[in-house]
Amino acid sequence: MFKKALLALPVALAVGATAHAQTPPEDVLQGLIDQIDSTYLTQSEMNIMMMPDNPALWTGMDGEDLFHTPRGPNNVSMEACDFGKGPGVLEGAYVELPRYFEDTNRVMDLENRIVHCMTEVQGFDPDDPAVTRRHGSGSDHMQIQTYIAMQSSGMEWNNPLDHPLEKAMRDAGEGMFYRRSGIADFNCHTCHGQTDKRIRASVLPNKDVGEEWTKAISWPAFRVGHDNVRSTQHRIRGCYWQMRMPRINPDGDASIALMSYWTDAARGQPAILPDMKR
Amino acid sequence: MFKKTPVAAGIAALASMMIVGGVAVADADNAHYYTEMTPHELADYLIFEADGFFLDQEVQEGGTTHQRMVQDDMHKACSVIGGGDPDQETLQAVREAAAESIVYPEGGIQLGDWERGRELAWSGFGYRVGHRTDDHSARPVGGNCYNCHQMATDRTGGNVGPSLTAYGKTRGTSEAILKYAYDMIYNPHVYFPCTNMPRFGSSGFLDEQAMADIMAYMFDPESPVNE
Ligand code: HEC
Ligand code: HEC
Repeated sequence: MFKKALLALPVALAVGATAHAQTPPEDVLQGLIDQIDSTYLTQSEMNIMMMPDNPALWTGMDGEDLFHTPRGPNNVSMEACDFGKGPGVLEGAYVELPRYFEDTNRVMDLENRIVHCMTEVQGFDPDDPAVTRRHGSGSDHMQIQTYIAMQSSGMEWNNPLDHPLEKAMRDAGEGMFYRRSGIADFNCHTCHGQTDKRIRASVLPNKDVGEEWTKAISWPAFRVGHDNVRSTQHRIRGCYWQMRMPRINPDGDASIALMSYWTDAARGQPAILPDMKR
Repeated sequence: MFKKTPVAAGIAALASMMIVGGVAVADADNAHYYTEMTPHELADYLIFEADGFFLDQEVQEGGTTHQRMVQDDMHKACSVIGGGDPDQETLQAVREAAAESIVYPEGGIQLGDWERGRELAWSGFGYRVGHRTDDHSARPVGGNCYNCHQMATDRTGGNVGPSLTAYGKTRGTSEAILKYAYDMIYNPHVYFPCTNMPRFGSSGFLDEQAMADIMAYMFDPESPVNE
């Protein structure tokens, strides 16, 4: 196990990774800001300034330990798990999720794939807290997710749509994005279909502007207001909560379909991992 | 049951095959059927049949979360992929249905207490469910107006909707303008079919008193909106 003191380097991203193709998230964001005039991208000067010291980097460090340590009843490390590019290959894996996995015959996002790895490869019981605790910087999930996602910083979102199931899930996700229902009549487009719109003081990302949408979907991110690193699934849960719709099931295909669509909407734009949000 | 189209019937049949003990099973058959549905059918299938959402939690208005995902005619008409408007005929139907939905208070449209209205216009509390559920006995339901509108200038409002600053001061308080504002809050689709603004009256989101108080906040000369 590494001790944090040893890793207190600004080059956190390079540590432990065999390849160095990742771009530090603050540089990715700056690149986008240089490209377009966007009040969404520039709304929090404070966050932009703090990104080199993003607490999520530490969460990712903890995840690195967890990932490479043999764990679970089978005492194997996650290096034996396939996140889409072969066992143990993490570089660029996250920007190509959700994707179809032959071993489960299912399109899976990172969170569900980690569950699969913990239960099927490491042998954890599905009720083990390592599997069931999904939220908070202290959870295994957030630490491992952050570590894996960091290996894709600066790379272009590129979830494959070659398999018929990948295409079907993406298209169903599009239907969900525009699907109005409930007591407040919302759909996602109500708030994410125009540029320079605000809910109170928060500038909303426009789904149709790639440079904005890549930041919107760049999770895990440290949410300053929550004082915790948050996941994509946590964001989606919050979206439906504020829309007055039911709680979404992180293990269900509905959340993965929405994710397939929103990742496709950011295709070709560089991921900011980990990000920092208000 | 028997009126189902062959496609819908097929989905119902495969739905019962795929759900085992309430849990969607991801297996070869499942995958096969997903690709046979239209995107719309698959979205509905994932929401209602494949455990996509927790649909049996109780909701504040009575009933369960299931009903929050069921689309009414307006929802369906205004859910356009890509975000544009439906055709003119559909917009007209939405407008007419909205007009029919509006109910006026027995004694006519009244202005209530602007101070209470100020808090309600600011508050986003109410009707949220799931991992945290709003308890309406603890606090009144708010109108979320500031989420989308600038009203008085002492608090920051959003701009998803137009600014309502000095609303009463600039528009006056004629019967016609009060009716317009009431209609906009009750069911804005009567003037803006497929608008992004919620139907606060016809959905039951705000009660008569809350609407009167929020209108007082918009129109009362004492209200900070009209300073
Ligand atoms: C009523 C307005 C509203 C609706 C409807 C809405 N959102 Fe949002 N969304 C927001 C706001 C406001 C934020 C900013 C973060 C916050 O304060 O929660 C946000 C943040 C986000 C973000 C992260 C961007 C960031 O900077 O934090 C994503 C991604 C997102 N929403 C996606 C969606 C999706 C997908 C849906 C539909 C399932 C949806 N939203 C529905 C208002 C909305
Ligand atoms: C989710 C966003 C949203 C919320 C919440 C919202 N509105 Fe609106 N409102 C709009 C939009 C958008 C319009 C413009 C109509 C259109 O173009 O569709 C509008 C228009 C209006 C108008 C007409 C303005 C004019 O100049 O004629 C009034 C009045 C109004 N809203 C009042 C309210 C009140 C009062 C509340 C709270 C109880 C509220 N709104 C909540 C989005 C919203």
